[in-house]
Amino acid sequence: MSTHTEHAPQGREPLDVNDPRLSRFDIVREGARRDDIEIVHYEEQLVPGTKAERRLVRLVAAMFLLTGVAATAFLVIYIWWPWQWEAGRGGDKLYTPLLGLTLGLALLGIGFGILTWGKKLLPKEVSIQDRHDQPGPPEDRKITGETMLYLADEMGVRRRPLLGFSAVLGLLPVGAVAAAPLIGGLISNPHKNNQMFTTGFAPGEGGEKIRLVREDGRPIRPSDVSAGGQLTVFPGIDHGVSNKHADSPTLLIHLREDDAEKSRAANERVGHGDYMWGNYAAYSKICTHAGCPASLYEQQTNRLLCPCHQSQFLITDNAKPIFGPASRRLPQLPIEVDEEGFFVARSDYTETIGPDFWERP
Amino acid sequence: MKRRKIDVAAVPGKAAGALDDRFQAATPLRKLLNKVFPDHWSFLLGEIALFSFIVLLLTGVFLTFFFEPAMTEVVYNGSYAPLRGTPMSAAYASSLDISFDVRGGLIMRQMHHWSALLFMAAIVVHMLRIFFTGAFRKPRETNWIIGSLLFWVGFLAGFTGYSLPDDGLSGTGLRIASAIMLSIPVIGSWLTSSIFGGEFPGTIIISRFFIAHVLLIPALLVALISVHLGLVFKQKHTQWPGPGRTNENVVGERMFPRYALKQGGFFMVVFGVIALMGGLFQINPIWYFGPYEAWVVSAASQPDWYVMFLDGSTRLMPAWEINIPIGDGYVIPPLFWPTVVLPGILVMISLFYPFLEARHLKDYRHHNLLQRPRDVPARTGAGAMAVTFYLVLTLSGANDVIADKFHISLNAMTWGGRIGLLLLPPLAYYLTYRICLGLQQHDREVLAHGVETGIIRRLPDGRFVEVHQPLTAADHDGHGELEYVGWVVPKKMNRLGALGPAIRGFFYPIEKPAEAPVSPGHPPVEPRAEREEIGSGESRR
Amino acid sequence: MTSDNDRRRGLLARLRGRPAARSRGRRRLGAAVRLIAALTLAGGAYTAFAPGVQAQENPPLTGAAADGKALFDVSCVTCHGRNAQGVEGRGPSLIGVGSASVEFQVSSGRMPMARQEAQAMRKPPSFTDEQVRQLGQYIQELGGGPQVPEGNNLHRNADMAAGGELFRINCSQCHAFAGGGGALSSGKYAPSLAPASDRQIYAAMLSGPQNMPVFGDNQITPEQKADIIAYIQETLKHNQDQGGFNLGRYGPSTEGLAIFLVGIVALVFTSLWIAGKS
Repeated sequence: MSTHTEHAPQGREPLDVNDPRLSRFDIVREGARRDDIEIVHYEEQLVPGTKAERRLVRLVAAMFLLTGVAATAFLVIYIWWPWQWEAGRGGDKLYTPLLGLTLGLALLGIGFGILTWGKKLLPKEVSIQDRHDQPGPPEDRKITGETMLYLADEMGVRRRPLLGFSAVLGLLPVGAVAAAPLIGGLISNPHKNNQMFTTGFAPGEGGEKIRLVREDGRPIRPSDVSAGGQLTVFPGIDHGVSNKHADSPTLLIHLREDDAEKSRAANERVGHGDYMWGNYAAYSKICTHAGCPASLYEQQTNRLLCPCHQSQFLITDNAKPIFGPASRRLPQLPIEVDEEGFFVARSDYTETIGPDFWERP
Repeated sequence: MKRRKIDVAAVPGKAAGALDDRFQAATPLRKLLNKVFPDHWSFLLGEIALFSFIVLLLTGVFLTFFFEPAMTEVVYNGSYAPLRGTPMSAAYASSLDISFDVRGGLIMRQMHHWSALLFMAAIVVHMLRIFFTGAFRKPRETNWIIGSLLFWVGFLAGFTGYSLPDDGLSGTGLRIASAIMLSIPVIGSWLTSSIFGGEFPGTIIISRFFIAHVLLIPALLVALISVHLGLVFKQKHTQWPGPGRTNENVVGERMFPRYALKQGGFFMVVFGVIALMGGLFQINPIWYFGPYEAWVVSAASQPDWYVMFLDGSTRLMPAWEINIPIGDGYVIPPLFWPTVVLPGILVMISLFYPFLEARHLKDYRHHNLLQRPRDVPARTGAGAMAVTFYLVLTLSGANDVIADKFHISLNAMTWGGRIGLLLLPPLAYYLTYRICLGLQQHDREVLAHGVETGIIRRLPDGRFVEVHQPLTAADHDGHGELEYVGWVVPKKMNRLGALGPAIRGFFYPIEKPAEAPVSPGHPPVEPRAEREEIGSGESRR
Repeated sequence: MTSDNDRRRGLLARLRGRPAARSRGRRRLGAAVRLIAALTLAGGAYTAFAPGVQAQENPPLTGAAADGKALFDVSCVTCHGRNAQGVEGRGPSLIGVGSASVEFQVSSGRMPMARQEAQAMRKPPSFTDEQVRQLGQYIQELGGGPQVPEGNNLHRNADMAAGGELFRINCSQCHAFAGGGGALSSGKYAPSLAPASDRQIYAAMLSGPQNMPVFGDNQITPEQKADIIAYIQETLKHNQDQGGFNLGRYGPSTEGLAIFLVGIVALVFTSLWIAGKS
């Protein structure tokens, strides 16, 4: 821009800022010039004292006052509005919305007030500043580079290599010392107690079989689950119904006669011939894909859907994955009924529960 | 006793003098006051992210006063009756207390969550602006890398925060996260066990996530954001080409007062929008989800939107399991590819994109002028491709909700996503490329022949032609062709002169441009800029 | 609704290829069924009012059951056959399903079905409560089966918190935490619980309609059923949301939509205004 190049700071005498004839704006502009800024356009948007200006001033003032009103309303609501939870449709349900409304209005009022002030009432300007993003002068680059190289010379590592080697060798273990407590403290053997391959259904120390229980700890009789029904069951041990045994939740399904027939045939094929008891089958509820509870049981199609990634397992075909990203069937729990008439696990699961991992056999 | 008179008017001056004596602030402060920023709406998108981050810090500090990051089992006895008597973790109980027993706690929780969503959304929108306008080119590659990292660090912040309440939904998310870590070949089980302190879910993960969420990740975010802003400041903002704008200058407003006022006002507006959303729109109603129990799940279990693309990629992934028959046999589960490999590739592509593009175009110059997306069809097409890819994945992450509410088969949604993921991105590339070329051509046409007027004239020989209004006076050949300068070309008669003095009004002009009143001592309005200095070489393809 | 179903079937057909013909056939069949239903309705209405035409073949029915049989022979017999023994390929036998099943299917408008499809949809019921009771009584007397207890409010004095736990363990996987329903495989779905009455929820648990598993009284006792109903009706439906508009309770997907459609849009417009020429 022509003005810009004409009045470029380099080619111009700096103004004497103490000159009493200069207006404040002149000094501001001089300051800007010293930062390589040329104010090329500076214009009041509104003629002072006009109707338009007064209207805008009133508008901004109204916004600020709105903020005051809204903020006061916020405080009043915060203190006096009933806020404790009550069942139903009481006024407490409006507490949070009212707080949000008043706080939002207060903030928007001040925000748009400031914005209008800045956008409409302040003079408009166009300034041009030089970027100066050229690299430093070659001389400076050279000087800095040489200085840094000289640092190395002064240290004399090249002449005294032993110092360098010993420093590196000495510092390496120090770095390891910093990392060791972190890694050592955090690391935890995933195969401790064979935990990845056992569940709460593993027989007790005396070989006693673990009962299947409900979420409230009661054992389960076959008559508890109707045909076409399913029940989430847990190992009947301490903390069996808790996240301590997050790999143990199991789905006990009572199949209808013809489905059970198909299911038994499928079990036979994979060597799980005796895993069912009557028309009852138990499959791990933990999806073999990402570990969500795969528990959307469709009693007519006998599909089991996982709601996280939509893997679908066909119960009548040994819970084989038939759709979606899961690649492994749900492990089956071998079950039977003990002499008291309650379901027990004949043994632990014979396959690994839950999401796949590298060393899963 | 005689009181010494204090000259009130002189106090600020004296104080300033005293400060400068000690800190030598006058010169740097002048430089700061005198910094010029270019003005364009798209330059404010990054600020949305910055401001919502500030709101996140404010609300987050409030929440820490009441949240108890422990997984010890307690029996809930707060005021929310439908959960009273339920055993749950202390973390979930204290989250319920924040919602029901801390006055104003619920709005704080909701504002915190909404501003987290806004933070991530603004990062993505800002990133798209940077990408499509070429603002990442030399010398700003470092800031692009920092920005991409900010997305992923924000992603971690969001995920850890989402997990903290230990409700049924977030626990499911945590379960999937553990499965993702477990799927990493060789180290998976060790990594998971080390992070969770044993078998999932263990008893320590919430406290570990808490310290990550309130200390480690925010510290990293603050550090990265500071460097990001510092670099914007140091390298000066890019600007659009246009009258008077060159690769070597910045045309805009000085930072103070107008620019700073606008920033302050905008912060308040962002804060206000978050407050409105936090109060009026319910988010993450954890009291419906119940405590996390490994056997409880809900239909439509989704992560927050910025994680949804990973959920989508997981849903679309076919069940391809790789078995390695060595020893007992080893497995690479299908979960590994869409959740570990895919994000890894995405990170790498985004980090190195500026260098890849520079290498491909052999363009190693400094670029301070932005490019209109239409002028770089290949990049714009690639961007559209990436956006389409991301959208297909995100929609697939919600495909069960879509299937349910729009009565589409769930299996059809999955297959649609699989096919769409392969077909739509190339299609988006092709279409975008063609649209860019079309827009370019139209620009050139207008520059060569003028604006279409809509007036049809019949020539003496019977032909009909449309009268065009040339943009410039014809030279001696009778042609008035202008060169394209990488900026908006007026396409309609009423846009002629739009690059000149401003016309008042937001959506439509409310008055005719008045003669600018010139205050005494103020420089007069500049005439229209000359066009020789405009634009950098590369924008003229 | 019709267009939705057609579209769903179209999509399915395109994906599977083979069943397309069947579903088209099914649609024709559906049209035929409707025609027959309309004809029988007209004829049946005549016979119902003509005295002495009612056939009395099986063991004597009580009054209500007899009325139910009349209704059955008019509206249901086409698919479920004479004496509710089922028609191959059209409708299952109703022997032993009990009045609970009838009540659920008919009072929610799912039966009579408009056409054969992946899953019967809820629609305005074709029968009054009294007629539903009569139909139920008829089926009950034919083959026995589970019954819903008397009364319209089945959750008086129930324990909401216990119901919540049972809901999350047994129901939420399909009907979602907030009871809004969810998708199942291949076009099937778990419906929203919003329009369901106490009796319908109870009947659904007892009878396991369509793909819903059966929750017999041994598995979930009548008291527990009352708890679950209390949780659904009081907490999920009657309770207003604490945190403002609930965005349909669809979870993070609508929250993500809202942050873009409301938050980002509002702020982008603000920045357009801020940087716009004034």
